[in-house]
Formats: sequence, structure tokens, C-alpha cells
Amino acid sequence: MLLPSAAVAQHSTRDAINPYRVVQRSTLHGISLLNTLDTYLSGYDHKGAGYHIQHETLRRAHTGSYNWIFRTRTDATLGIATQHSNSQLLLMASRRWSGYHPFTIGGNLKILAGAQIRAEGGALYTPAYSNNPVSAKAGVTMDASAMAVYTFLIGEKEYRARYTMDIPLIGALFAPEYGQSYYEIFGLGHTRGIIHISSPFNAPSMTHSFVIDIPTRKSTLRIAYIADIYQSDINSLRTHIYTHSFLVGYSRTIYKVKRNDPIEAYSPL
Amino acid sequence: MLHNISTMLAALVLATGCIEEENFGNSPQGNLEALWSIIDERYCFLAYAEEQYGLCWDDVYTRYHKQAADAQSNAELFDIMGNMLRELRDGHVNLSSEYGMSYYWDWKLGYPINFSDSIQRNYLGKDFRINNGIYYTVLQDSVAYAYVGSFANAFGNSNITAIMAHLAHCKGLILDIRNNGGGMLTAAEQFASHFTAEKTHCGYIQHKTGKGHNDFSKPDPLYLEPGKGALWLRPVVLLTNRGVFSSANHFTMLMRALPQVTVMGDKTGGGSGMPLSSNLPNGWNVRFSACPILDKEKRHTEFGIEPDTVVNMGSEDWNSGRDTMIDAATRHILQQYDSN
Repeated sequence: MLLPSAAVAQHSTRDAINPYRVVQRSTLHGISLLNTLDTYLSGYDHKGAGYHIQHETLRRAHTGSYNWIFRTRTDATLGIATQHSNSQLLLMASRRWSGYHPFTIGGNLKILAGAQIRAEGGALYTPAYSNNPVSAKAGVTMDASAMAVYTFLIGEKEYRARYTMDIPLIGALFAPEYGQSYYEIFGLGHTRGIIHISSPFNAPSMTHSFVIDIPTRKSTLRIAYIADIYQSDINSLRTHIYTHSFLVGYSRTIYKVKRNDPIEAYSPL
Repeated sequence: MLHNISTMLAALVLATGCIEEENFGNSPQGNLEALWSIIDERYCFLAYAEEQYGLCWDDVYTRYHKQAADAQSNAELFDIMGNMLRELRDGHVNLSSEYGMSYYWDWKLGYPINFSDSIQRNYLGKDFRINNGIYYTVLQDSVAYAYVGSFANAFGNSNITAIMAHLAHCKGLILDIRNNGGGMLTAAEQFASHFTAEKTHCGYIQHKTGKGHNDFSKPDPLYLEPGKGALWLRPVVLLTNRGVFSSANHFTMLMRALPQVTVMGDKTGGGSGMPLSSNLPNGWNVRFSACPILDKEKRHTEFGIEPDTVVNMGSEDWNSGRDTMIDAATRHILQQYDSN
């Protein structure tokens, strides 16, 4: 069961809150600037814009004396990019499951280092092409991930800035052979050799995000910039999808109440 | 530990270069070079064209690059590049832009027409039916006739079943695909699947695995599996002419592998490379053959499939409103029926 933190605050002191039951969730919306290249479809960069939605959940956990921060993040981008009169529609979605160990550097700065599993998929679609309109993307990676979190005061209000970097280290991704048609793969079932091991050598991708949390009267305003660099060079098919997203939304902190907690623990009455 | 992690991440960041593609400039020469390179690296019949008629793609570059440099306008450049693509003698290779689409038509224009829809009307009569774009009727002597003019749209199994049910009492079927310029491979395969009761090996498909002219995957077999609904296993005469192209050529290749089918008429127009598309620095689009489809003897069918029985429209028949090919097909079916 989840309750907004405001409800918790009404009936209990801050000390009574178990930090391992606090969950921070945010949903952000915004625009993305796109730059796509996929030599299966075209040898030229397509540039455009799109809509980006992101949902993130952060929570604490501990094993023995070790503290952990767990994050799940889901991103989806829908956009259109053009080269002269040619257009490409882009749909990409990803889900990340991350775990971090925090290190306090001193004062208000924390560094978190960890790893994550990322699953992503999507497609570039060129309406003008008859037999190869789509270049599909799908992959799973194990990433290195790190965060730097800096908390500071302006007046009496506490602000928080966070930088996160994700770098895929190893994984598996889908890629057709150089001149293979999707008719062969999906129509005839000739799927030999379409799954490849990915690494920074053939799929040097990374994601950087900058987030600022600004407290408001009732919740926290979150402003984010995300630079997502998706690249691959497999079977002489080169791809890059660069998205620069500017997002805004609210984050809220919720307190996870367990089924057997006494009712006084969360009832406002 | 933190130092080690940050050092490792920094090394990865430095190792992460940008993945870009070699860009040709958006100039007349740049666009011609881009087009030439797309064909050089991705087109699947360069080695076959060299073997068949001595095409040297490097020579083509030399000849047309100079013309592109002298082009006075984009319209002229479009014509130059269209002419360059016509060197491939492939109806699947087109350049499209605001100036239209370049075509290569010699796969059919240099040959007898061998089809007249006016004469066809004499056979269809007035009580023919149309279902899913297929015109069909029963000719004299209980011989079924069906005309399939396109594979641009998928067929419904129930539509094909209804057609076959209507013709079920006939001694055989004349399946006329003359002037069928193609459409979807899957539509051709789906229609052909109603003419076999068992999985039948009909051909092979390949694709390019690299930029070299001979970089191909090993041929993967193509099978025809029985379709859902009615199956026609009685004699079939498939009528073809030079207007049979692309997926209709593919349909001919599939049907030719079936024991009850006789291909009659003229050689097909070909077009056995499944086309893909790409574009140029100036935004013009190019379509090119990318995946060659071979018959079950692993022969190319790019330049057409020879019929089992060659029949051409006779001028005397033409003038008297008779279709030499339909008449010959009728005789063939009746002979087969009588001999059984």
C-alpha cells in the first residue's frame, strides 16, 4: 500500500519514518531533438523532434550493513526526423533496472556507483520505402551506471541536482545481415545470425541525464535534460539515434505501508 | 574503489566514438557518387550482369561522373542518373524525385505484347465473375479461365476458395497472369499455395552479406506450403508474357515447380531481385534489387523464365479476335483430360 508523504507527515514524526519504505516516483514529459542515421534505410542523418515521456522510481534497500539505492526507469520517445523531403518516424522505448551503492564524498555530495540491466526496443519507419520501410531495434544490455547527487539550500528550501551516466558494457541486440530483408526474417523465418553480442566496440552507446529537483509548496518540480546516444555498427550497418530531451514534471515521495502495520501508522484520523 | 570505477568509466567514454557514415556532398558529382556507391555496395546483380552482358560498373562511373559534372540543372542531373541506372537493365531499379521516376522498360517493351484485353473480353463474355480482383469464368468444353492482373493486394483464402468452388466442375484451369507487373511477394505465395497439397521446394533466396559484388549468404530454400481452404490439383496452364514481372515472375517460378502446372506463352519479364530503397544527399530516393531469388535449380530468373511451351499471339488470330494462347491452353487441358 502506498500513501503520499503528506499523509504520513500529519500523524507521525519524521523520525518514525522508515527510510527503506520511502519511494520517490516521478513522471516527466517533454520534447526531444532527434538525429537519426540508419544505413539500412539511408546513409544520411535525419533531424527532427519528438515527444519523450519518462517514469522513474527510486527506493532504498539494505543488505546487512550495506545500503543500496534501486532505480527503475522507463523512457519512450516518439518523433519524426527528416532529410530533405524524406521522413523517418522514430519510436524507441527502454526500461532500466539499476542498483547503486552510495558513497558520501563530503558535505552535500554523494556519488553512487552501480550496474543496471537495460532492455530497449523500437523502430525507425520510412513511409516512402515499399519493401524495407522499417529498421527494428531490440536489445538487452548490462550497463555500468553512476550518479552524482548534490543537495543545496536556497533560502530555506532544499534543492537537489543529480547527474547520471549509463554506459552499456555487454549485451545482445538484433541486427539483420547487411542486405537481408525483413521478409526473409519475419516472412520466411530465416533468423540465422540476427542476434549479436553487443559491446562498446560495436555498440558504443551511453546516456547522460541531469536532473534538478525544485521544492514547491506541495510537491517537487523536476526539470531534466537527457542525452541518449544509441549507436551500433554491425554487419556494416551503421546506426545512431541521438536524442536530446528536455523534460519537466513532478516527483512525489510516497511511504510504503505494509499490510500488518497498525492503522495508526498511516490513518490521518 | 571509486577511483577505479571512475577511471574505467572515463576510459569507456573516451573509447565511445561517434558512429557516422561517409557522406557525399550535395553537389551533382556528390549525388552521382552516392548513387553509384549504393548500387556498387548494395545492388545484388552486378556480378550477374557482368557475366550476362559484360557490365563494368567502374566504367559506368567514369562515363557518367563527367556528365554529372557538366549538368546544367537538377532536371538534367536526374536524367543523367536515370540513364546510369538503366545500364543495369533492371525494372526494379528506379530513381524518384520531384522530376518523376526513372524506369527501365526494355524488359517488356522490346518484345511482342502477346495480350489484348479487347480479345480477352471475347472469352470472358458477359457472365464472368470478379472476386478479389480475379476475373473468372467457364469457357467452352468446361475449361476454367481466371485472370490475375496484379499481386498488389493480398488475397483472402475464402475468396480463393469461393472461386475454386465455382470452377470445381471444370476439367482444368487456364490461369492467365499476362501483363501482371507484380506487387507483393506474399500475395503471390499465398495464391500459389492453393495449388499444392504438400510442402514443395520451389527455389532459393539469398541476400548480400557485405559490400563486395559477390558477398552473398548461402541460398536458403523456399518452400510452398498448402494454403488454407480449397486446393486446385487438376491441370493448370499458366499463361505468361513479357509483362509478367517481379512478384508475378516469382509466382511463375513457384507454379513451375508444381507437377500439374504447364507454363505456356512467352518468356516472363523477370525481376527476381527483391527491391530495397535508400536515398541520396539531395533527398532523391533510389530503389534497387537487393535479394536475388533463384529457381529450384539455383538459376537466376532476373531476366525472365522460359515457358514450358512457347506460344505467341498470331496476327491472324489477333485480327479475328482470337487469343492464340488461350486457345492453345484449352487444347492442352482437353488433351490432358482425355489422356487421363
